[in-house]
Amino acid sequence: MISRVFMACRGLVAGLLVLALTIPAGAAPSGTPIRIGGTLALTGPLAPTALLHKIAGEVYIDELNKANGLLGRPVEWVLLDDQSKPDLTRSLYEKLLTVDKVDLIIGPYATSGILAAMSVAQRYNKVYIHHSFGMPHLAKYEMHFPTAAFGPEPNVTLPTTVFNALATTATPPKTVAIVTSKFPSAQFQSAGAKEVAEKRGLKVVLYLEYEAGNRDWGALAARVKDAKPDFLWVGALGLDGNQMLEAMKKLDYTPPRHFHLFPAPGPMVVAPDGNLALSSTVFEEHAPFLNNPGAARLVPLFRERATKANVPYPHVDTQVAGSFAAWQVLEAAVTATKSLDDKTLGQWIRANRVPTIIGTLRFDGPNNYGDDLFKVKQVQDGKWVVVWPKEFAAPGARLLPP
Amino acid sequence: MPSLTLLGQALVSGVLAGGIYGLLALGLSLSWGLLRLVNLAHFALALLGAYLTYQLGTTFHVSPWLAALAIVPVFFLLGCGLHAVFAYFRVTEFTSLLVTFGLTVILESVIQWFWTADYRRYETPYATASLRVGPLFIPTLEMLACLTAAALAFATWGWLRFTYVGKALRASAEDPAIAAAFGVNHRRQAYLLSGVSAAYAGVAGAFIALISTLAPSQIWTWVGVVFAVVIIGGLANPIGALLAGFLIGVSESLTMAVVTPAWAPLVSFSVLIVLLIVRPGRV
Amino acid sequence: MSGEPRRVAITLVAVGVGFVALATVGLPAFYESFLYIIFSWIALATSWALLSGYAGYFSFGHGAFFGAGMYTTATLTTKFNVPFLWTLLAAGILAAALGAGIGAVVFRVKRLRGELFGLLTLAITFVLGTIVLNTRIDGGPGVFLSAVPLPRVLASPTGTLYLLGLALALGTVGAAYAIGRARLGFGLFAIHDDEDVAEVEGVPTFRYKLVAFALSAGIAGVAGGIHAMYVGYVTVGETFSITVPLYVVLMSVLGGARHWLGPAVGATLIASSLYAFTGGQQAVLGRAAVALVLVAVILVLPEGVVPAFLRYWRAWRGRPRVLEAARTLASVDGPAPARSAGGPGVALVVQDVWKAFGGIQALRGVSLQVGAGEIVGLVGPNGSGKTTLINVISGHYATDRGRIALGEVTLSTRPAHEVAALGVSRTYQIPRPFAHLSALDNVALAATFGAARCSPRQARAEARRWLEFTGLGRRAGALPHELNLHERKFLELARALAGQPRVILLDEVLSGLNPGEIASAIGLIRQIQAQGVAILFVEHLMRAVLALSDQLVVLNEGEVIASGSPREAMRAPRVVEVYLGKSHVA
Repeated sequence: MISRVFMACRGLVAGLLVLALTIPAGAAPSGTPIRIGGTLALTGPLAPTALLHKIAGEVYIDELNKANGLLGRPVEWVLLDDQSKPDLTRSLYEKLLTVDKVDLIIGPYATSGILAAMSVAQRYNKVYIHHSFGMPHLAKYEMHFPTAAFGPEPNVTLPTTVFNALATTATPPKTVAIVTSKFPSAQFQSAGAKEVAEKRGLKVVLYLEYEAGNRDWGALAARVKDAKPDFLWVGALGLDGNQMLEAMKKLDYTPPRHFHLFPAPGPMVVAPDGNLALSSTVFEEHAPFLNNPGAARLVPLFRERATKANVPYPHVDTQVAGSFAAWQVLEAAVTATKSLDDKTLGQWIRANRVPTIIGTLRFDGPNNYGDDLFKVKQVQDGKWVVVWPKEFAAPGARLLPP
Repeated sequence: MPSLTLLGQALVSGVLAGGIYGLLALGLSLSWGLLRLVNLAHFALALLGAYLTYQLGTTFHVSPWLAALAIVPVFFLLGCGLHAVFAYFRVTEFTSLLVTFGLTVILESVIQWFWTADYRRYETPYATASLRVGPLFIPTLEMLACLTAAALAFATWGWLRFTYVGKALRASAEDPAIAAAFGVNHRRQAYLLSGVSAAYAGVAGAFIALISTLAPSQIWTWVGVVFAVVIIGGLANPIGALLAGFLIGVSESLTMAVVTPAWAPLVSFSVLIVLLIVRPGRV
Repeated sequence: MSGEPRRVAITLVAVGVGFVALATVGLPAFYESFLYIIFSWIALATSWALLSGYAGYFSFGHGAFFGAGMYTTATLTTKFNVPFLWTLLAAGILAAALGAGIGAVVFRVKRLRGELFGLLTLAITFVLGTIVLNTRIDGGPGVFLSAVPLPRVLASPTGTLYLLGLALALGTVGAAYAIGRARLGFGLFAIHDDEDVAEVEGVPTFRYKLVAFALSAGIAGVAGGIHAMYVGYVTVGETFSITVPLYVVLMSVLGGARHWLGPAVGATLIASSLYAFTGGQQAVLGRAAVALVLVAVILVLPEGVVPAFLRYWRAWRGRPRVLEAARTLASVDGPAPARSAGGPGVALVVQDVWKAFGGIQALRGVSLQVGAGEIVGLVGPNGSGKTTLINVISGHYATDRGRIALGEVTLSTRPAHEVAALGVSRTYQIPRPFAHLSALDNVALAATFGAARCSPRQARAEARRWLEFTGLGRRAGALPHELNLHERKFLELARALAGQPRVILLDEVLSGLNPGEIASAIGLIRQIQAQGVAILFVEHLMRAVLALSDQLVVLNEGEVIASGSPREAMRAPRVVEVYLGKSHVA
């Protein structure tokens, strides 16, 4: 209880600090712009989610420039399209650093691209903050800083969180079925889920891997229905989970509880069978998250921009919040050290805790990973609400049983 | 050992999935076989049809069937327009791949421009409806798609076989000079065929909107399997395309029912390879 | 080396040295990477064109070989700690073996050409990808190579990859050039136009396709191995996607698939365009703009950028039109090889040959003999099996039963190209010249692969000689579609002769000619006979048959119903019955 008050106070102070740093201090930023370079998958198969990162970055940069910029200078985001291709990502980061000669860089979208550019960052000793990396054990560069706050072992911690949440209900599941995409990060974490389940004494009645880009869900649905699990874990990307649910419904079957790993959030809340679907998140648009540093300002701005850009689900959740957090870390480091020197920035980030929109981040764990900040959320009444752990649950919300 | 019900259900699922493959393959098979043009843009057209169905459904609350009806004539004209470009520049089979690839990228960009890259899903009340036949369930939407594919395949077969236009098209494809000598107006037939082909793409698109995911890059997920269906079924062979679709759909689905689903493409494409090498003639 | 080859070699070496110097002096890392990517695509596209552009076998499986190479390097370096450069060798060999294996099965099946071959190769890509995805080779999480040591040659870390890519690109382009001028290339071009005729003219089609395919696959494998190091994290989704198979086709078609430099130009254009418009604000529109430019270029220049450029340049320079296959008409130097007179009595022996197609018995126990310098006429009603017999003798079809021999050497057990090499030539009733080769090259092909086995230069000299002989000397540079029927028939004849055959099978060479042309054709045939060649002469024109033949064989429904001197054979009752009906047998 006391520790919780203390945490709240610390958060408040930190929040005020960040707020103070960004209150307009009089004059608009002036001087030569600070150029921050990065790529995103603006076209290609990764574009659906990268679009959100683009909007998030633009919102943040605009806010920065409306205030005092960075170190009093305006900020320019040099953004290039890597077309969802890791080899293009790598060469574009080389372009940004050696031809465009940007001052700082920020990471691209998704694991493969981030890894491809990490070697470039390493070669040029640049601070490398990124927001969507799913395989922590592969990130070996000492100046990389992840804001996809999985913690160093997501394949253990994330399923543990989920099963802990489920254990609080009146009838925790005894049997588990796991159906996962073979997309590397999804498969990695789903394989972890299998081990965790078995260690906790749950019976894994089905473990299926399908190729990413699967078109036919009927057979998979039939196998799940056959296995009759208490709990279905779907290592889903995008709309995989929706298609699974629909395919099972066509067989007149709905699993009692289902969890989706990386779903597209919008379609799931409007799906007829999406009600009570579970997923994981670091941020949702309700208290206490809305009290996090920057949330009050950034959330409505993102909503406005995204709606204008015709995005179907213009809300801030894990991906967008992670993106904001990345910018926040960069801004905090530059402001605190009053420097653009990567070594200085890197040392500061490693040594300090940075308050961000997703919580306080630290980078002093294995491979620069810190705490696992993921919570469990559920679709209730057409909205995603966090249900576990209780401190982060939406007011009055709890994990609803089937 | 999987239960009979499971196998039966997988069989049903495979046949129905194969129906969609056949539906998509139909237009491509026709234009490739009879016009000797490889139209990669067929997939982009199908996805455009899907997005239009989605848009009409969500913004204007037009039922998908009406939407499809509206889309067909528009796409027919699009197909004619496309052929006008081909005819003007005298595009050959060889260069058609490159030209249509460019068109596909352009169409993909247009789709992304209007609908953003984000995922969209067309929710309809009958998405989860299915018929019960004994222990098996037959999803209604997929069944409808399959039946449409079959109906169109048979209609096309009949059209090609029994009508003057159909015979003229086949003759032109075999020997354009002689057919022209017999008074076949190849140009007019070609426009007709191109339009029909595009219209089929639109119909396939309507079903894709109802059944599958919408994102601009989804165009490319269908290319491999549909090309396989087109070629196994035999160019310009509508019933062949349908049957080839069933073959691939079923082999994939049964594999997914019995072993790790990720092996499915191995089985379907290996079957294909073996068939191609061993089979003495065409279907 | 003389003339063009020397210039090309010097240019390639100069280009190579230039790029190496550029890197040594110090390029910003981005340009090194950008150039590496272009080199990589040049190697991929050019290697694809070796089989698919030259021989016309459109493969959609280049991604399989590229992927095989990527995973070979990824697996060997990470799981077995093999030094990187050795893995490239392994990648190349494995990919080449894969290509050879596939080719060995697929090329035997005559049916699998055109789109079927394309589909098969595409299917192999998916099969391989799935296997890699589901086994320990990858299994799903991808293979991470960043810890693998990369030998440093230049100062920059990408430098080694840049140099490797450069070497591969130059090597592949050089190989494409060399092959295009060598026997292998000549044979591949012929296969492109008409594989069956090429085989009958002596091109060992199976072997050549296999070699081209294996080489093409091996190069793709090496390119894959290098790329694995470049990307650093190899996943199935990115490696076995449809990108590589599709892009190599597009690049080659854009640049000109039949020209050795075409794919390289196409690759440079398309790979560079990937970088145009990568600016964040116009990414989507930019992509559409690039695609539009691509479409415009190919619509306006359908034969490809390089051939179109060459055409304009030559027109501007006022030079006469040069041959499509970029073979320059070198001057004829050196004496034409002496005509080998077949030994006396060397004969074509057909012994009791049977051939059926499904339910139709086309040949029933046909026997005949043709001696050196003898003309045997073969007549019979339509459908009697004359063309089938010629197809069987030339090796295009295998016999069901019976033996065909040239002197002591058995022909009927050999593939068609060996039969041609042993000295059997034929013409086609409806001329089948190689559509993209000039008249000179058509004839030179036969000289290269026929019994004469000339070197490329000698072959052209021989070809000129035979074109003169048949009166086509002035049309040497023309393409077949520019010749009229008479000229095409005589082209057939010249082609049949250039191989220095011991036996010529003439299939209705006179049909469609006017009386004047017939007279000159008959004169030619007599001259050929005088040189000691055995001639089997199928004809409907009785006048010519009776005038020329030393012997006559009459076929009906696959059976020999009469043989002997022309007069005797024509008077045989059975023959009269068959031609004129029973009532005329008097």
